[in-house]
Amino acid sequence: MFVIITYDVSESRVNKVRKVLKKYLIWTQNSVFEGVITEAKLYKCLSEVNRIMDKREDSLYIYKVENPKNLSKDVLGICKNPEDMFL
Amino acid sequence: MDFDFEKYKTQGIKVNYYYICKRKLWLYDKGICFEKNFDRVLQGKILHKNAFQREEHKDMLIDEMIKIDIVSADHIKEIKISSKMKNPDIMQLLYYLFYLKQLGISKKGTINYVKEKKVVEVELTEEDEKEIKSALINIRQILMMKKPPEIKKLPYCKKCAYYEFCYAKEVD
Amino acid sequence: MYKDYYIFSNGKISRKENTIYFEDKEENKKPIPIEQIERLHFFGEIDLNTKFIGLISQYDIILNFYNYYGYYIGSYLPRKKNVSGLLIVKQSEGYIFHEKRLFFAKCFVESAVFHILRNLRNYKGKTDEVIKEIEEEKQNIFKAREIDELMGIEGRIRKRYYESFSLFLNNDFGFSKREKRPPTDPLNALISFGNGMMYNTVLGEIYKTQLDPTISYLHEPSSKRFSLSLDIAEIFKPLIVDPVIFYLINNRMLKEDDFDIEEGICFLNDEGKKKFIKEYQNKLETTIKHRSLNRKVSYRTLIRLECYKIIKALIEDEPYKPLKAWW
Repeated sequence: MFVIITYDVSESRVNKVRKVLKKYLIWTQNSVFEGVITEAKLYKCLSEVNRIMDKREDSLYIYKVENPKNLSKDVLGICKNPEDMFL
Repeated sequence: MDFDFEKYKTQGIKVNYYYICKRKLWLYDKGICFEKNFDRVLQGKILHKNAFQREEHKDMLIDEMIKIDIVSADHIKEIKISSKMKNPDIMQLLYYLFYLKQLGISKKGTINYVKEKKVVEVELTEEDEKEIKSALINIRQILMMKKPPEIKKLPYCKKCAYYEFCYAKEVD
Repeated sequence: MYKDYYIFSNGKISRKENTIYFEDKEENKKPIPIEQIERLHFFGEIDLNTKFIGLISQYDIILNFYNYYGYYIGSYLPRKKNVSGLLIVKQSEGYIFHEKRLFFAKCFVESAVFHILRNLRNYKGKTDEVIKEIEEEKQNIFKAREIDELMGIEGRIRKRYYESFSLFLNNDFGFSKREKRPPTDPLNALISFGNGMMYNTVLGEIYKTQLDPTISYLHEPSSKRFSLSLDIAEIFKPLIVDPVIFYLINNRMLKEDDFDIEEGICFLNDEGKKKFIKEYQNKLETTIKHRSLNRKVSYRTLIRLECYKIIKALIEDEPYKPLKAWW
């Protein structure tokens, strides 16, 4: 599946959350990650984030698209972090 | 007849597999084609890591043979992902209770299906002990087989980590 | 989900924040999600250290290294955590007993030739004669009694096959015969590069199973190469690499300026390599409906399934039948 994760996390924890997400997904904008991921990997990722977040103050949204083919993406302006297999 | 426990004792997971699929048991024992990146296997692993993080006696290795998820004063607990394989789970736990009994320890057991928030209580009866003994004898026989037991089509084959291994073939 | 990354820039790759960062010479840093890496391919000049090796080993990620011309130099394979003693014994048995070895070797050649003919049939009218010749030679596979003989048959078929490329390929960059060491024309360069990629891909799939990549049947087990990978690649070169080459050439996607020639060696330059890799990856991820599994599987998965079938034959579970593309 394809996921977009957005988050609003207190400054003291935001770096830790970002570090976890970086292991799984592509950082596309401030506080936004996206990418293709399996059910289990997402579960693993979120369980790691869960340990860092304070559920009374922070929030994290997960948007899922089961079939990545059903998703189209347009970019206006600069594409900050294009996902590419060539570096 | 006396039951020679030392000769037949085995790992808990093998008792579990024995009740799921004899072929899986054999393949697992020989170290063949177990995919640790298989999605379901991975989910189970993480679940294990997360559940009961505050418990003190976790993953207790007993007798260098069986690994019990959680041990408390009068209970042992197993953590499972879903209750779809309830019978094999129960047999595994009964085996642990049986094992402990051989060591002179008597306890009760619970299985915690974390995702479903369900708990199953298990107690070892005499009937169960008979069943476990005969399972252990059969397990030993299966593991001594020179080649794997044939495929037996089961309703849960498609969800098994060995599905592709078992069913990949050329069709004419 | 898992992705291959190809690093062409020069720079540094390192472990940072429990994942991997690549930093090029201009100090542009880019994180690579460690949890989603299939393999890493190094084409540029890249510095790395043991901290990095430690992390990618935890994740069982293979590193592949290529030289300036894009030729494969070698791989780093993390220590295997899942081995099967029984399987290694059985795999060796398959080599020691001549009949068993010959059977596997014949299967690999038979499947390779099946896919070669399948490619040629796509250009009917132009390739009728070569198809006929190869079909005749094919009969000898079943009669062969020695591995050498089989290698000879396979060599002759492959030679005829490559020679016929000029019959159906846009002959913009001239091609007459296959030259390996080193390739001197673009098509030879392309074939060499593609076969190298296939070898790597197959090695990666073997690595996911408990097969030992050094014990092989068609190719002599060698200390220089993972020869089982060469064996299995025979099946997949005509199924995966060659169609990609035909596609790139006949659609004029590759041009002469995608190749460089230096000191008589012809090779794909970075732009050319990227064009090939892009199509190659597309092919690996293309799915077909598998008949016995009754689910969609990718070409890459087909390679792993082939390993499974070999394992099953070795442990005397089911006789081996090599892949013959049915779609």
